[in-house]
Amino acid sequence: MVNYPEIDKYSSLDSPMHRFDPRAKIVAFTILIFAVVLVPNLELAFIAFIGAILFLIASKLPRRFALQHIKWVFLFVVPFILIMPFTVPGREIFNFHGLSMTYEGLEYGILVAVRAISAVILVLPMIATTRFDVTIKALGELKMPSMLVQMFMFTYRYIFVFVVEFQRMWRAMVARGFQLKTNLYALKTIGRVLGMLFVRSYERGDRVYQALRARGYTAKPKTLVEFKMRASDYVWTVVIIGFAVSLLIVSFA
Amino acid sequence: MVHISDGILSLPVLAAGWAITIALLAVAIWWSNKKGNLEDEIPKLSVMTAAFFVASLIHIPVGPTSAHFILNGLVGVILGIFAFPAIFIGVVLQTVLFQHGGITTIGVNSANIGIPALIAYCIFKWGNKVGMTLMRKDLSVWIFGALAGGVAVFLAVIFTAFSLILSSKEAFFAIAIALTIAHIPIIIIEAIVTGSIVVFLLKVKPELIGGLGDDKK
Repeated sequence: MVNYPEIDKYSSLDSPMHRFDPRAKIVAFTILIFAVVLVPNLELAFIAFIGAILFLIASKLPRRFALQHIKWVFLFVVPFILIMPFTVPGREIFNFHGLSMTYEGLEYGILVAVRAISAVILVLPMIATTRFDVTIKALGELKMPSMLVQMFMFTYRYIFVFVVEFQRMWRAMVARGFQLKTNLYALKTIGRVLGMLFVRSYERGDRVYQALRARGYTAKPKTLVEFKMRASDYVWTVVIIGFAVSLLIVSFA
Repeated sequence: MVHISDGILSLPVLAAGWAITIALLAVAIWWSNKKGNLEDEIPKLSVMTAAFFVASLIHIPVGPTSAHFILNGLVGVILGIFAFPAIFIGVVLQTVLFQHGGITTIGVNSANIGIPALIAYCIFKWGNKVGMTLMRKDLSVWIFGALAGGVAVFLAVIFTAFSLILSSKEAFFAIAIALTIAHIPIIIIEAIVTGSIVVFLLKVKPELIGGLGDDKK
């Protein structure tokens, strides 16, 4: 019904991407993703795609894991590839009972898909190679407002609690004969279960807050992780940002 | 699917999305600093954000396919102005944990989902002010809860369609129309579910439906 987030399942492997300083990794890959998203033609999009694949290979993440995470974006871009060839005006490839497929539409559809998939591939070496709590701490080091950083920490931590909580409530419902269908009764029942989940979360939030205050919580994050940039971190940063900048220069010059 | 992936939108739309999102986040942070109890709000707000996030992972069957909840209307009704940071956190986590959406589109997606949440909050609050004088309390809460839930998803879909059309009118117009039509059943489902949730909360925990920040006053 609901699954755990498993993005950092393979963060304990060892690869150049795993050793890369999380702060530099976030900055460099974010810049590269922005560059990839803005390339204006198919040739550059394919170069970006190959680059993304190379970074993914360098991260040594298992292929099945990578495909699982890429498949959602693929589902999102399928309508673009299917619909755009028939709706964008331009040179006609063929005409079938008044339904005409255009070269421009096909090209644009594929461009959108390649850019989207390249960008999502790059998210994996960026995020999946570091424990997610360390990634959040790196965001704090990068001057994200403290309120947001702490919200990320607490929210991420309690997602796991509520996945278990919801699974337990769901099992209880199914054990009593509930069947999930699209009818008014099922939707109202789901409404009540979710209502209960929110009541529990509200009460739990209060307890968490009391417990934190008792331990001296003052809304200022304290972290045990020390970040340190090494020579290899600078090299990777230059390589990734260099790739991004050259994509942008070729795109817009 | 109101979370747009990377690689689709044009630079001006992406930039506008980030500008709106950063401005609204700044307002929410400024607001909570002004009230001077940040350390009170953060843990409670985050724990509820986690619950909303988990609820948004639930897939329900819609005809031959399935859809997952957005529940932005409910987030607005319960959290008020803090709905925006909560939804921003939700959008970022959806993107980085599950790859639903894109890194460059975090700004646009947060604005598309978060602004309707704020509007839903106003609908629910003002609607009930009038509604409670006209009819039974729980009926009014159901009607305006359902309205808030439905309108929030409807606006999120409309905003998403507009983001696509503003990026490239000729290329994405048909997609935007298809997206809007595909979401009609989801709007109805969210309206019913949001209505049932707020009625349940009215009976069990009424302080929840008045804004998390307001209950201590």
